[in-house]
Amino acid sequence: MAGRAISSAAVLRRAGIVDPSRAAEHLTNLAEVFPHVATHASEYLHEVADPDLAVLQGLRLAEACTAAQQRADVDETWQRHPRRVWGILGGSAALGDFLVTHPEYVSDLAYRESPWTTSSDTVRGVLLDAIGADGEAPIPVATEDDPVPAMRIAYRRHLLVIAAEDLAHPHPTDIMPRVSEALSDLADAALEASLAIARSQVPEHAQAQLAMIAMGKTGARELNYVSDVDVVYVADAAPHADKDSAMEIATALATTAARVCDAPGSEPALWAVDAALRPEGRDGPLVRDVVSHAAYYREWAATWEFQALLKARPAAGDRALGRAYIKALAPLVWEASSRDNFVADAQAMRTRVEENIALAEQDRHIKLGPGGLRDVEFTVQLLQLVHGRMDTTLHVARTLDALQALRDGGYVGRPDAERLSSAYRQLRVLEHRLQAYRMKRTHVMPTEEAARRRLARGARLGQIEDLDHVWTTTTREVRALHLDMFYRPLLPVTASLTAEEARLSPEAAQERLTALGFADAAAAQRHLAALTKGVSRRAAIQRQVLPAMMGWIAQGADPDAGLLAFRNVSDQLRDSSWFLTLLRDSRTAGERLGALLSTAPYVTTALLASTESITWLDSDEELTPRSRERLSAEADAILSRSDDAVQCITALRNVRRRELVRAAAANVLGIVDSVSAARAVTLAADIVVQGALRIACHEVALRNGQSQLPFDMAVVAMGRYGGMEMGYVSDADVMYVYEPHQGADEDDCHRAARKVAEECALLLQRPLSQPPLAVDADLRPEGRSGPLARSLESFREYYARWSEPWEAQALLRCRTVAGNEGLREKFVSLIDGVRYPTHVTDDALDHMRRLKARMESERLPRGVDPRRHLKLGPGGLSDVEWVVQLVQLRHAHEVPSLRTSVTLEALHAAVEADLVDASDAATLEAAWRAATELRGAIALRGRPAHAVDVMPTAAHELRALAAIVGQGRTGEEEDDNWARLARRCRRVMERLFYEWEEKR
Amino acid sequence: MDKQQEYVLRSVEERDVRFIRLWFSDVLGTLKSVAIAPAELENAFEEGIGFDGSAIEGLTRSFEADMIAVPDPSTFQILPWRGDTQGAARMFCDIKSPSGEPAMADSRNVLKKALDRAAEKGFTFYTHPEVEFYLFEDMSTDTPPVPVDRAGYFDNVPRGTGNNFRREAITTLEAMGISVEFSHHEAGPGQNEIDLRYADALTTADNIMTFRAVVKEVAMAQGVFASFMPKPLGDAPGSGMHTHMSLFEGDRNAFYEAGAELQLSPVARQFMAGLLKHAPEITAITNQYVNSYKRLWGGAEAPSYVCWGHNNRSALVRVPVHKPGKGPSSRIEYRAIDAAVNPYLAFAVMLAAGLKGIDEGYELAAGAEDDVWELSPTERRSLGYEPLPSSLAEAVHVMERSELVAETLGEQVFDYVLRNKRDEWQSYRAQVTSYERERYLPLL
Repeated sequence: MAGRAISSAAVLRRAGIVDPSRAAEHLTNLAEVFPHVATHASEYLHEVADPDLAVLQGLRLAEACTAAQQRADVDETWQRHPRRVWGILGGSAALGDFLVTHPEYVSDLAYRESPWTTSSDTVRGVLLDAIGADGEAPIPVATEDDPVPAMRIAYRRHLLVIAAEDLAHPHPTDIMPRVSEALSDLADAALEASLAIARSQVPEHAQAQLAMIAMGKTGARELNYVSDVDVVYVADAAPHADKDSAMEIATALATTAARVCDAPGSEPALWAVDAALRPEGRDGPLVRDVVSHAAYYREWAATWEFQALLKARPAAGDRALGRAYIKALAPLVWEASSRDNFVADAQAMRTRVEENIALAEQDRHIKLGPGGLRDVEFTVQLLQLVHGRMDTTLHVARTLDALQALRDGGYVGRPDAERLSSAYRQLRVLEHRLQAYRMKRTHVMPTEEAARRRLARGARLGQIEDLDHVWTTTTREVRALHLDMFYRPLLPVTASLTAEEARLSPEAAQERLTALGFADAAAAQRHLAALTKGVSRRAAIQRQVLPAMMGWIAQGADPDAGLLAFRNVSDQLRDSSWFLTLLRDSRTAGERLGALLSTAPYVTTALLASTESITWLDSDEELTPRSRERLSAEADAILSRSDDAVQCITALRNVRRRELVRAAAANVLGIVDSVSAARAVTLAADIVVQGALRIACHEVALRNGQSQLPFDMAVVAMGRYGGMEMGYVSDADVMYVYEPHQGADEDDCHRAARKVAEECALLLQRPLSQPPLAVDADLRPEGRSGPLARSLESFREYYARWSEPWEAQALLRCRTVAGNEGLREKFVSLIDGVRYPTHVTDDALDHMRRLKARMESERLPRGVDPRRHLKLGPGGLSDVEWVVQLVQLRHAHEVPSLRTSVTLEALHAAVEADLVDASDAATLEAAWRAATELRGAIALRGRPAHAVDVMPTAAHELRALAAIVGQGRTGEEEDDNWARLARRCRRVMERLFYEWEEKR
Repeated sequence: MDKQQEYVLRSVEERDVRFIRLWFSDVLGTLKSVAIAPAELENAFEEGIGFDGSAIEGLTRSFEADMIAVPDPSTFQILPWRGDTQGAARMFCDIKSPSGEPAMADSRNVLKKALDRAAEKGFTFYTHPEVEFYLFEDMSTDTPPVPVDRAGYFDNVPRGTGNNFRREAITTLEAMGISVEFSHHEAGPGQNEIDLRYADALTTADNIMTFRAVVKEVAMAQGVFASFMPKPLGDAPGSGMHTHMSLFEGDRNAFYEAGAELQLSPVARQFMAGLLKHAPEITAITNQYVNSYKRLWGGAEAPSYVCWGHNNRSALVRVPVHKPGKGPSSRIEYRAIDAAVNPYLAFAVMLAAGLKGIDEGYELAAGAEDDVWELSPTERRSLGYEPLPSSLAEAVHVMERSELVAETLGEQVFDYVLRNKRDEWQSYRAQVTSYERERYLPLL
């Protein structure tokens, strides 16, 4: 047949060959050695992952068979088991190479007994036999001269059989669990053999007992082709042996055995033995006794370590010791879920793992990526741990077994369980095929075309497009199933679920809700019932949306309040179809709504008052504070549209209310920090004050029968308002200044200006449909006994007469916000002379310090622990501000950058100008920012204005604050953190402001 | 319900225990106790026992009173002096906030957190205290107390009250699972020392709390009075609590290095350097009372200067004589600490100081060879031996500036201790003593 192509190009193409002319040439050459095999090749090539590779490897194998007998053996096996041989040659380059190096092992593929039915003892016996160890002996020891390659070859020969059976199977997802079991048994056998080899190298081995406990996938007997094998070692002294030296010997045995598996050698290494799951991780001792293991788990272990323990199983070494370990530790696993925050801890861990994957690979990572294998395992383990405390039928290690147990126990719905099970098998098959090719540990979906094609074919999915489709739908399904399986069964029976879906018993539902952090599980069940009752479309969408919403609400600081708020919002919007549609279609909106409702009552109230704001949650852009220009333009449009004062001011107040919600929501969601949020809140106040002044001027002129007032007028912001640091519930401190036009009557002007100021305050504060802005003019010269509006001239005279340092200090926070531009400029240049003096006398400094000291003891409200007062307490806002203001008073005259009403800007300018040491400034800023964050958070928790300055004491409030501040601290830690920052700040303040000497 | 909890419930049943005392410590190290009936025990394990924390020194922020004590079943012990049947038992508690977070103000939690930080570096902290105390005929505060005997160091006093007492105390302690290593008659009349065996620091601290209670109980039963006051008699040595320390990495003593100078590993040297450097800052914790400074500066082997020495009984830190062939027993001894300490806080700051030395790789200065007390002030200064704070006021002042102590104790405890100790100093300063009257009244 030589010289003639045995298969036509068309036939080869149909079988999946990419380069038919080369393949035909290879087949022709193959036919010279194995004519029968070559002739029938095209019948089998369409089934293999990479037919081009298969043909090439086939030819290499033929060329490797030098001896006639060998050729005959190979030919016979190949003819009788063509699927197995071609499957290996085209599915695994690594195993194909193994056959080319060792053609004598091709006949292994003529195995009679399927590897699925081979017992673990048989496999163990084969590997021990290969190294001359007695499989029957209680403590087998290798006798072979060079046992390591012998063991590795024996391992690969059995691996070859497993892979052949797997790769030749038309429905790989069906047999995937069998493959994993067989691989796990093989790994156990390899561990046993490696220990036998180690014993032959550690002469005193008899003094120590050592058991290898398999963890992770090996432990659960769900191993893949190439993976680190996770183990921990338990050791003890043999009877009558010295404990200390026994532990040393055991350590030597463990180290040597690991090297047998994973050190490089003439025959390649098997896989890495990873002992990092042991107590204390890589820093801990390699071997411990049972008591020491148990003590660690009782005292120190973190939540995830219990999850790992779920899969522990004695794999090799001393059987009795292994059993003792399991007996001592297994009960601890099921106590873990009773720890506080167990579910939250576990979820946080999962998120961290996801964040650790290199970004480019994240979406292609079969194991750790979103919707990947780890998600499946995580879902199953979490449910196991939540319900396994009460229900021992859930005490199983394998993911698929556990899923079945959860289904049988009614904890998850039957269809859900089946969908998750098939998703899991599918992902595992992809992983297996990917790894089998080069026998390399890889978990990333390939991007290269040839590799994707190979994977699509190898997994029996068809073309690349089919692979992509399966990958996308499977990972999406896994993600959705996590929420569904966890939360859907919580929906009450009345939610007309299909008969197939799981119905938790009331106890199990309670258990799950409690694990999720709901304090009042019964109330939660009532809300769920109310939300899903009936057959309306609304109830149907709720049933669809709620599982996910529950998950997001449960992550907030106060799940109970969150669910109640969600019910209220839903009730209020029962007739607005967009609401549920938004939640159904936008994961972002739902997640954010859940966070807001369960964390920030202030925002909840605001959202209930203006439900349309909920639509913003879908978009970062909508949640970003609006610029001054944009808001001014909007205000101008409002004012030019109507002459009706009430209508205008109502519209402007509505703008402010809207911006407050925006800032508050963005602040809770971490899109802006509290300092930026405060700026946005100040800006909204500016807009409404500007509008109010314009309307007031217009109204007063109208009443006086004038087209225009005979004076200019401006509003000056003071205090936190001046400093752009307003809180959500702050008053606006203001002063009014006017300047008569030339020739105007001073008294008339004064009367009218007072009217304007009064009208302005009225417009801002009178009850209307939109919330008021409280204004306070008490900081004006002479306080309440001074005139409400003062002329520029009168200000000039006043400041010339009274230049009390504290007045100058108060002016540092002045900022003109509304009114005539020219007047605003004149006013600023007037007060600049006062607040930025050329010289500050020692007397004035002493006066300031005395004043501050007196404020510290007198201004604090009665009954409040000073250290908890964020504004006036030691290290609080006022401490930082007085330091900054002292620097400003002394130096702003010659350092223009200090001339700002904004605290942090002034502080930074002081550092730039070398007036404050950078590290001192950092200490001050840290405390100032923290106090601002905390005050913001307290207001967001719905506390009234008079309470926002005091750090709460109640534990759940502290925890909620910590959640809003969002640095991952517990409530107690948040409290501690504030105390620490305040203490450090106070020390710096005492040095910089009071100029107290630090003494040792 | 875990196994240990089950074990406790079963023991209570089997031993017919009528009361369970839940023990915890206030910030000063005074033992506090809440008694509950066995019927409440299961609930106590699951939810803890609520109590009014504001009644306990330094336990709560001033406005929040609700606290929860959760018993630690691994510390369950029958109280032997209550008799074998129908007796009482005790457990130590962790204090938590109503939301279940560990309370920042719980001394035990302070130590646990310090141990956690050590564990993150792979270390376990072991301590072994030698507790000294006096036995007096009775408790009289207006006249000097009368010691039960007048023997000296290691004297065996025939039929001495002390011997009976010690036998009884040791039996009781052993019955409570506290191993006692060694006991002998200390240098002062009526003074005793009992050494608690090496254990991890949390267990040791629990044991010290128990030990002090047992000693007082046993003394009372024998009609004498036991006191851990640091310096009860002006002319006799004070009662210290020299504490041996070491770090272990797993089963290996991290302080030991064969062949190194004094068999001390670099870790041990850095630990010691940290302890020495920060010693003045932690003194207000290790020596927390006005009276503590009368022992610290009362001569007679009191370690008043910051230096270390090999088997040097005048140094602040001593490296005990190494026993050949006993490798893993490498340890160092801190000699300032006294028996009236809050052991949880003291162990926490001592550990933190040592770890700081390891973290920052402090260099250890040369050891002191001479008796530091024999040196002239100028000699000491030239050798760089700084004095420890000479009074509570000075110690508080130094501690105020210490980030190390603040971080280790947590802000709440730190602040509380500072305020409490300032108050103590103020009320002490307000005293006019008989010494002053005797000396000044006739003269001035």
